Amino acid sequence: MQPTEHRSAVGQLADDLRWLEDHCRKQPELSAHAGTLRLASALARNVIGPFLEGLDTRPLHVAVVGGAGAGKSTVVNFLAGAVVAEANPQAGFTRHPTAFLPPGPGFAWPSYIGFLGPMHRLTADKPANVDEDVYQVRRIDTKGEGAHALSEFVIWDCPDMTTWASEGYVARLMEVAALADVIVYVASDERYNDEVPTQFLHLLVKAGKAVVVALTKMRPADAPAFVEHFRQEVLGRLPKLPGGGAPAVPVVALPQMTPAERADPAGAGAKYRVPLLNQLLVQGESTDAARARTVANAAKYLSTAGDGLLEVARRDLAELEAWKLAVTAGRVSFEDRYRREYLSGERFQRFDRYRERLIDLLELPGAGRVIGGLLWALRTPYRWTRDYVFGLMSRPDVLNLSEQTVLHESLKSWLDGLQAEALRKASAHPLWKQLAVRFESEMAPHARDRFATEYRTFELKESEDLEGAGKALVAGLEQNPALLHTLRAGKLGLDLTIVGAVIYFTWPPGWLLLLAPIGVSATHQFAELATRGVAEGARARVRAHRESLVTNTLTAPLAHWLGEWPTTGGTSFEKLQLVLRRVPDLIRQMDERVTAKVKALGAPKPPPIPPTGERGA
Amino acid sequence: MVEEENRGLSPPAREDEAPQPLLRTLAPLLRGLERQSRAWLDSRRRFPLSMLQRAELEGLADDLRRQGEALDVEKPLLVIMLMGGTGVGKSTLLNALAGGAVAQASFTRPTTRDPVVYYHASVKTDRLDPALRMCRLASHDRAGLEQKIIVDTPDLDSNDLTNRDKLRALLPVADIVLYVGSQEKYHDRLGWDLFKEQRQRRAFAFVLNKWDRCNTGESGLRPDEDLLGDLKSEGFENPLLFRTTAQLWLDAAKTHSGGGLPPRPADLPEGEQFGLLRNWLELGLTRLEIEAVKARGVGQLLAQMGRAADGVRPPDLTAEAEKVKAAWTKTLSDEADVQADVLVGTLEPYQTEVEHHFSVEDQARYRGLMAAYTRLTTRLRYAGSGLRDRIPLMGLKAKLMGGRVETPTEWNLGEFVQKCAETAGERVLDQRGTALINRLLVEGDTKGFPLALLSDPTTSAGRLNWREKSTRAVIDALAEVERRVTHPTGARKLVRGTLGLFANTLPEISLVATAGYLLWNFFVRGEVPDLFQMTLVVLIPLLVVIVLHLLILMLLPVRWAAIRGEFRAALGARVADELGRAYLAIPGDVAAAVLDERKQVDALVAETKQVGDWLAERQQAARVSELYGK
Repeated sequence: MQPTEHRSAVGQLADDLRWLEDHCRKQPELSAHAGTLRLASALARNVIGPFLEGLDTRPLHVAVVGGAGAGKSTVVNFLAGAVVAEANPQAGFTRHPTAFLPPGPGFAWPSYIGFLGPMHRLTADKPANVDEDVYQVRRIDTKGEGAHALSEFVIWDCPDMTTWASEGYVARLMEVAALADVIVYVASDERYNDEVPTQFLHLLVKAGKAVVVALTKMRPADAPAFVEHFRQEVLGRLPKLPGGGAPAVPVVALPQMTPAERADPAGAGAKYRVPLLNQLLVQGESTDAARARTVANAAKYLSTAGDGLLEVARRDLAELEAWKLAVTAGRVSFEDRYRREYLSGERFQRFDRYRERLIDLLELPGAGRVIGGLLWALRTPYRWTRDYVFGLMSRPDVLNLSEQTVLHESLKSWLDGLQAEALRKASAHPLWKQLAVRFESEMAPHARDRFATEYRTFELKESEDLEGAGKALVAGLEQNPALLHTLRAGKLGLDLTIVGAVIYFTWPPGWLLLLAPIGVSATHQFAELATRGVAEGARARVRAHRESLVTNTLTAPLAHWLGEWPTTGGTSFEKLQLVLRRVPDLIRQMDERVTAKVKALGAPKPPPIPPTGERGA
Repeated sequence: MVEEENRGLSPPAREDEAPQPLLRTLAPLLRGLERQSRAWLDSRRRFPLSMLQRAELEGLADDLRRQGEALDVEKPLLVIMLMGGTGVGKSTLLNALAGGAVAQASFTRPTTRDPVVYYHASVKTDRLDPALRMCRLASHDRAGLEQKIIVDTPDLDSNDLTNRDKLRALLPVADIVLYVGSQEKYHDRLGWDLFKEQRQRRAFAFVLNKWDRCNTGESGLRPDEDLLGDLKSEGFENPLLFRTTAQLWLDAAKTHSGGGLPPRPADLPEGEQFGLLRNWLELGLTRLEIEAVKARGVGQLLAQMGRAADGVRPPDLTAEAEKVKAAWTKTLSDEADVQADVLVGTLEPYQTEVEHHFSVEDQARYRGLMAAYTRLTTRLRYAGSGLRDRIPLMGLKAKLMGGRVETPTEWNLGEFVQKCAETAGERVLDQRGTALINRLLVEGDTKGFPLALLSDPTTSAGRLNWREKSTRAVIDALAEVERRVTHPTGARKLVRGTLGLFANTLPEISLVATAGYLLWNFFVRGEVPDLFQMTLVVLIPLLVVIVLHLLILMLLPVRWAAIRGEFRAALGARVADELGRAYLAIPGDVAAAVLDERKQVDALVAETKQVGDWLAERQQAARVSELYGK
């Protein structure tokens, strides 16, 4: 697979998740999910992308995170072995992340497209409270020491997630947390059971990050009891790892220190520094293995949490579904109205013409017309009587509304119903609001136009249909000369036989001769009933077919268009649907590639977090 | 520092000033307002309240009641509530104030799960607010804190979410909130959000505890300065902020045995102000300040009530109602036209029956020969209308064709029309009814009348028994047309009267005249009439009858085509009338009801404002303004 392919697929995934994050931020009730989505997108962008591109696994990243004032900067100093970060009594001073590189030219600073997302690197040193989407890179300056203890690591000092201002910069924290191979979670004696940092810790564990906890500020005497308490209260409630196991999180205590200890981490503070460094070095014994673990866990997290991440769109989808249901209900009532108001009373008068032609066909052609005329004359009294009786008995039809009226009125009420529904729910969800706002100006005119076009097609088809059915009725007989001649001959034969028989049996002519016209009338009546039956059958078929014609040409396309309307035209719902379809796919692809690559590296996949955490206590 | 030392203190001389019975007068006013707002909340209303608005108003009504009860005493109690994150030292602060372990304090977080109420022994517990009575009670006998109740609350930010609920349940009782922060948590989001939510309602003073951790001498902004900056941007220009290290005071108090105030600890960090805090609580908050805080609290409550009520004031929709009515009139008349067409169309198959019926009705006024003749001709002409449906085949055909009504064998107008209306309803009118409602609602909304208001009454109007209504409309219209035919006016009446007179007299006269003429000839002239002359006795009256009948048919036709036009017009008017009666009044009614609600809200707002103004005029010039931001 080409690197560009990886890049575009992973980039797409990251972008989609970023878009979802923005989508959540716009909706107050979903804004809590924004952080999780940011983490997911940053995992794809910062961890998985570079790995698939085959970039150097060095350096490993260690991020120091925690609540405001918990002592993150102090921990950074202890990791660095020198006072590099400004420890500041102001809570929430740090507003953007700062990376500290080990001394010496160890490795190249990672630079690839999409690294740390929208954050760019500050070229000049600036105070840590610059509140912009930036990060800084500084080199640790230790004098005289040999190889730095963490020569493979970049140490990140991160902003907090607890102060009121943190809402503005917590995304930067997420970005670096996603990047990190190891996280040092700093909790003070005051903070350790706070909800917000604990939720953050849970998120990190779920994302499969290796976490080391640094507990700070307790009285030295309280330290062991405190660590034990923390294990029970907080670690005892951690969620499961992506792989399903319980996370093993080592805990290191950094009690309240004297200013001297704080000022000299490598010297006076070494007794606190060494256990911390040990824990960290255990996590990153080999950069390849550590990175492979980070990547594999990130991929696993994305593929297990993928559906959960998309949960944020559930409400939107439910509303979309409700809209489609409303459209379908409208369609059903449209068809119902057409059936009842028009079709049930429609007689298709044109059919009578074909029925008459059918009767005409049974008459003899050419010279036979004379005989036919004679018989016709014989049937005159019958015809008169029949017409009179039928005139008395038949009723005029119910006056139907015209087909066009019924269809247009039905369309109007379909649209009205939808608009009323949209107005009714406008305050409940943005989808309906958008529908209500754009209904009158955009959707209804379009729908009417579409209907008008479809109606023209429908009209053409329906008259073709009717004509076709009628013609088929006649043509069926016309194109079957054998049957036609048999019928004609049969009718003629019957008529002549009756006349002959009457004359023969009643000779000499008396009043019984009247039986002749009665007889030929009876045959004719029989023929007429037969054709009527055939015609009625065809009429019923046309009626049924007309119904399916309305469904296929008019209502089904329009209902589809209406149902899809909210998700077209560049709206956020269109994008949402696209993203929802794409993300699971992309995650699956990404997961496959990561698995393949991890295998190809030959590195045996290490357990998610080495179970060596107990030493720190 | 000097200035701050002074701030908490106020001259003790003020204690002796005779307090005005301001708060006691206020109590019944508040209760009255509470009753009014409750009544309004509980009444049935057209204009919908959102869940949030309703919850806010109910909370405010609760507060009004609570304040009304709390103020209706000789010496109102001031509730000071400690609020802050877990571990910032709320309990330590209370213990230091009490000089001993009143509240549980420990390094495990969260420590305080049950709120502690610290109150003077002279206060009877039944005077405490019910929410406080449920807490752990700790009494004391310090004169300086006699009217004050200090409440230690659970945290607002730990993993134990029930603690947060407990705090929220207690907060409405607080008069002054002591916002306690530490170096780490002084502006954590959870606490800050709660502060912002409550600041319009209560007095706020601030404590930055664990001052020793703040004052490290490191570079950068000191937390107290940072917090003051935050507060300034929230409108607290000059807030009351105490920097404390309560732990040291508590330790000192523990070693101190014997009566009196615990001593000042030895190694306090620079700028530590716990002493000031204690002074402020004990001496700074005199009776005057308490009343001022209480009054101001009520003032804030009233202002919020006014704002909230203003926010739910329904709009004035009278003008919109007019517009909607105009639009609906047009729609309804169009609808009435279609419905009338459909109903007439349903009667179409029975035109001969209708004609027959009309003819029979019309001919009832003839007597004698004319009556006999017309009865005969009518029977011949409408033979079919009796015959038609007695043949079973026809019923089968009707079923096949659909949309037909079987005519009753006996002409029963009511039953027949009812069946017609039912058919029409089933086929067309029922669906049109539903569609009509949506049309009306959409039209109302485009005219600026909120759909939610119209929806219910319109839908219930649509649920009336429209089949019955259309049945009655058809019967009425038929009766009207019948009346018009049988009792015409103007020239028709004259023609009809003349023809009727002729028809009832001329045949008989001609019969008598012909017979008389023949008899005269026979008796006087002695001529014996021949057969032809004999038949003239029958033929001449018959001729007269036929001529008259033809005249009647020509001049006063009873044909379906003529009846149909009149019937359609009458029916259209009837249906329009019915529709108008059911729907047209709705916008006006709703607008009137909403306007009425608007007036009620206006009255509530006005009264709230009145009480607020009354209170503002009498507010004491006590020094409490720093407890409130802008």
